Amino acid sequence: MPRIQIELPAALRALADGRARLELEADRVGTALARLGDLHPHVLSRILTRGGELRPHVNLFVNEADVRHEQGLETPLSDGDSLLVVPSVAGG
Amino acid sequence: MSLETRLQQLREDFPLVSPADVSARLGSGALLLDVREADEIAQGTPEGAQAIGRGYLEMRIENLAPERDRPIILMCAVTTRSLLAADDLRRMGYSNLAVVAGGFNRWKDEGLPYVLPETPDADALQRYARQIVLPELGQAGQQRLGQARVLLIGAGGLGSPSALYLAAAGIGTLGLVDHDKVDRSNLHRQVLHRDDRIGMAKTESARRTLEALNPAIRIRTHELRLDSGNVESIFEGYDLVVDGSDNFPTRYLVNDACVKLGLPLVYGAVQGFEGQVSVFAGAGQPCYRCLFPEPPAAEFAPNCNEAGVLGVIPGIIGLLQALEVIKLVTGIGEPLVGRLLLFDGLSTRLREVRLKADPNCRYCAEGREFPGFVDYVRFCAGAPDPEQDPVSPQHA
Repeated sequence: MPRIQIELPAALRALADGRARLELEADRVGTALARLGDLHPHVLSRILTRGGELRPHVNLFVNEADVRHEQGLETPLSDGDSLLVVPSVAGG
Repeated sequence: MSLETRLQQLREDFPLVSPADVSARLGSGALLLDVREADEIAQGTPEGAQAIGRGYLEMRIENLAPERDRPIILMCAVTTRSLLAADDLRRMGYSNLAVVAGGFNRWKDEGLPYVLPETPDADALQRYARQIVLPELGQAGQQRLGQARVLLIGAGGLGSPSALYLAAAGIGTLGLVDHDKVDRSNLHRQVLHRDDRIGMAKTESARRTLEALNPAIRIRTHELRLDSGNVESIFEGYDLVVDGSDNFPTRYLVNDACVKLGLPLVYGAVQGFEGQVSVFAGAGQPCYRCLFPEPPAAEFAPNCNEAGVLGVIPGIIGLLQALEVIKLVTGIGEPLVGRLLLFDGLSTRLREVRLKADPNCRYCAEGREFPGFVDYVRFCAGAPDPEQDPVSPQHA
């Protein structure tokens, strides 16, 4: 199983025991999020809707690529990939 | 060696081209360099010539002509300075050099076409000297900055650094939209304002700061809340919009108006120790809605008042926005189009991700008719479908 890293924005770190990065094993984006949810369920609820869809104000990038333009939650992961969570922010 | 002896030698070394033959050579790839002084160039320069002062010739030539064998034709008022300039370039390894016989004086006498460049006045030459000297910018770039009309949405944390540096750089018309008044809690990041202006309209405070910094530019203030009813009439007076707003309704409104009017939008947003920057350039490139189709629910969307922000974060992001504006206006460099820059101040990390236009974007997808402005407050409060909302002016 590929070992990947999830990177969380500051806004979600408080819900993940203050961690900015988590390493875990997953072969698809969906399974990586499921593992994240096992560890930190409150973080997952900020990323996915109750129906398991990606929230429209959140983007996930595997390395530099937006998963919405890849295979969504089915996007495959490889060893060493970085899964970046980017929610919209409005501050100015 | 006397000057006359040296010139005699140089006349033998470099071929003379008659002015009438220059345009044909330009058409086949030659470069025409006008090496006269700025005050002479102000009286006219041949069409297609690069005005490059002799003083900066060696420093700038490699940007204009990286290939040493490119044909270069030099021109001054008669021929003396162009012969000396050709000698300088020969020492740098340029091998295909010629000089315009009779220089610009003969060019004009023969009735050949020339243009009167807009040259900066003495104040501008001093004020912008350190950036005009940059070969990428030059006087042509400075002229473009002076002609630009840039609208900043918000005179707050992002708008402050953007406005200060854009005014300093010589953006000719700088517009500011803000309905708010200066509050003491703004001052750790909104560096346009001062403690003795608490209670003053931010637009007026900004105007005073910017006019004191650069009286040579025009500041236009719009002390109002941007809404569906006024957005088009305000945006129509500008070439480019910089989003430094602090709430989602305004951000979606600004995006939609830029899509409708075909204006490039320089996006920036901050929260806490983090910031985002991108350029939504239109014409098949992603827009803000392609990136974030819908806003978060209110409980997931704190603003700076609620979530807090370290003052330097909008400082950094606002300056990146100003940089993108200068690049877009002058055409230099590689703007952040189709890329999102993510800054994490806690780890001091800068990340970049790729953005693509959403072929199903309700607003910018190719072939789509503009669906109209919506009730942005309702939309951001979780209205089910903005396309179903009536079009009504609504405070953002």
